[in-house]
Amino acid sequence: MVRDLAAGLAGLARRGHSWLNTPLPPPPATLRRGPLRRGAFESRLRSPRLTSLLGSALAVAFTVCFVTGLISHFIQHPPSWFAWPSRPVNLYRVTQGVHVATGLALVPLLGAKLWSVYPRLFGWPPVRNLAHMIERASIAALVAAALFQLISGILNIARWYTPMPFFFTAGHYWSAWLAIGALLTHIGVKLPIIRTALTRPTPDRVTDGGLSRRGLLGAAGVAAGVITLTTAGQTVAPLAPVSVLAPRRPRSGPQNVPVNKTAGAAGVRNALFDPAYRLTVPGPARRVRLGLTDLAALPQHTVVLPISCVEGWSSTGTWTGVRLRDLVVLAGADPDDAEAYVESLEARGRYRATTVPPAHVRDPYTLIALRLGGEPLHPDHGYPARLIAPNRPGVLQTKWVSRITVRSNS
Amino acid sequence: MRTVRRALIGAGVLGMTYAVIGALTDPDVKGGALLFLIGVLIAHDAILLPLVIGVGALIGRFVPLRRHALIRAALLITLAVTIVAVPLVLGRGRAADNPSLLPLNYGRGLLEIYGLIWVSTALAAAVRARKERPARAPAPP
Repeated sequence: MVRDLAAGLAGLARRGHSWLNTPLPPPPATLRRGPLRRGAFESRLRSPRLTSLLGSALAVAFTVCFVTGLISHFIQHPPSWFAWPSRPVNLYRVTQGVHVATGLALVPLLGAKLWSVYPRLFGWPPVRNLAHMIERASIAALVAAALFQLISGILNIARWYTPMPFFFTAGHYWSAWLAIGALLTHIGVKLPIIRTALTRPTPDRVTDGGLSRRGLLGAAGVAAGVITLTTAGQTVAPLAPVSVLAPRRPRSGPQNVPVNKTAGAAGVRNALFDPAYRLTVPGPARRVRLGLTDLAALPQHTVVLPISCVEGWSSTGTWTGVRLRDLVVLAGADPDDAEAYVESLEARGRYRATTVPPAHVRDPYTLIALRLGGEPLHPDHGYPARLIAPNRPGVLQTKWVSRITVRSNS
Repeated sequence: MRTVRRALIGAGVLGMTYAVIGALTDPDVKGGALLFLIGVLIAHDAILLPLVIGVGALIGRFVPLRRHALIRAALLITLAVTIVAVPLVLGRGRAADNPSLLPLNYGRGLLEIYGLIWVSTALAAAVRARKERPARAPAPP
């Protein structure tokens, strides 16, 4: 019975394999015009070696972007097995800075790579068999997903959402899986070619005066360098003077810290100056309500922590306020083993509330900040009170905090 | 190698399947993402790359052979920087109540980078011309 089944499956696989590899009738030769003609692309710079070298660089860079992007996604939507530490305080600043900088530096590399294989788009016959058709479809998926990632990322850091008819974060996330999956498949399919191209020396066939392989790789490298230097100042502050294309300046904005969402945009302008403002802290033992004077009377602490945005910029601030763990104690929970659900005065919005996991509640650097740089928080920075915790994306540093629900973790 | 290839292809197919199922079940994605996916592919393969290859052919025709490499390299760098800069220069993401967003004059910044690229290119061309002079007679213009 089992043997019959195995034989049947093997037969099915054989038949499927031969079906996939059955040659399809070639299209009429009269259709072979324009770029489809033999020798339509004249550049002798193209070679499997050039493509493999660019492809290897792209594979490394895409992996870096995928891993750092996945980290950012998991911090914001943590699966049960995932825990992100609260130290080192600058870890997320680095991972997300690298994510954006690598993605931008990828632009010339991807461009050169796609140029190097462009004639293959016009290979003749367009499809030899079903297996060939599937392979070509997977390449289309790879190219489309790679372009999707770079272009949507560039639009996002420039905050231009109109050309993207979808929610950026979700589209960028699923397209990342498509890109990395198609990339793995592509490497698997092309592995023999890549291995030969990278191990066997290939002479540069470019004639005198033309751009050589080394010249093209060098130019792509210089382009990546120029892009990095002119944008990375948004998070590497010493580069700011040369970063003429940085979407942010680490020191621009009220109280020398940039703003993503203003109080006006959040619709909280009136609510935050309401004299009846109270920070409500319901916990397992009791429910505490604190006015501004009550908060100011609690022990104040000062920390130097960055706001690290998912868009790749970051800025260090000096924050003063009440430790979250002190508030947790007031609400009657163990500060070493509690979780806090922090809500904003905002009525709606994707980021109006966030869960602070135990590692960050425990950390004495995690504050409900009342002051920035010694002054009361600017309304756009979350007046009257905001969350600031080490090693967390900016979107999870809730502003205009109105309520903190404390839950015991165990 | 056969096992490695099969493992890579298998893992890749799993990744792509996860992407498709994930996107289909995520209410935040909608059909717009598919539209954008196809749009960027067409914009690149049917518009941008043919233009780039066309400009390359024009250089082949009108620029002296000895300067092809330098001009092509400079154009490559110019194009890559432009792609990153265009959304910033257009500045559609600006918000009236938030001056910390896109705080710079990106048009001027881009022109500065262009200047740097092309001045360096001209310098490199001059240095090469100097090196070539003793070897052969000055080329006719």
